[in-house]
Amino acid sequence: MSDSLLHDELVLLDCSANDSEELLTNLAAILKEQGYVKDSYTQAIIDREKVFPTGLNTPGAKVVMPHTDPVHVNKAAILVARLRNPVLFKEMGNSGNSVEANLVFMLAVTDPKGHLATLSKLMSIFSDGEKLLGLYNAETKNEMINQLDEILA
Amino acid sequence: MMKKIFVACGSGVATSQTVASKIGNMCEDEGLNVSVEAVDIKSLESIIDQCDIYVSIVSTGANNWNIPTISGIPFLTGMGMEEEFEKLKQFIAQ
Repeated sequence: MSDSLLHDELVLLDCSANDSEELLTNLAAILKEQGYVKDSYTQAIIDREKVFPTGLNTPGAKVVMPHTDPVHVNKAAILVARLRNPVLFKEMGNSGNSVEANLVFMLAVTDPKGHLATLSKLMSIFSDGEKLLGLYNAETKNEMINQLDEILA
Repeated sequence: MMKKIFVACGSGVATSQTVASKIGNMCEDEGLNVSVEAVDIKSLESIIDQCDIYVSIVSTGANNWNIPTISGIPFLTGMGMEEEFEKLKQFIAQ
């Protein structure tokens, strides 16, 4: 993959979970197994999501973008997960609202300014329903990876 | 005088950085003389007296500063962005 923050093993199709905490725990475990994040990352990301939720009522497919402080991260990465069934998150900037998230972009960030270009490209699709729907409808992992490559190129 | 705009989110690592960069570019395109900076919400309190316009991304507290405030979320999702940018431009012109 062309971008250093994207990794084949961190692109997941058809994840499922009963609730947001279970989902965050499972996804954080994958980052942890691969050495991208520290043990403290899981709790940190769950706590952060409670105080500063990251669900977004985006067009096409709803996204959630959990992330936390660099201190819990070893190596920067973006984990992308598509959910078989939507999982309820709270909306960013408006905790009173819920978001039925279909796509998860879990960020492990070490250097915010250094990753700004990549993060901006990623977030630029949050206003692009067609691209989000494209990711959501990708039939294979490779198709999804190719789309992500194009987005972050 | 150059207006100072601060964008704050929970960690200051992802959302606020991206929104700040987007708003900075939009202002530049319009020839507006502003500085846009991303901070984490905890740091905001200590620099709030330097802040002319606050771009909010979090819903908890912190929206009660006595300064002009707009929402940063539309700059992520694109929904309602023009209205929010208009509001920002009015604040800048004040």
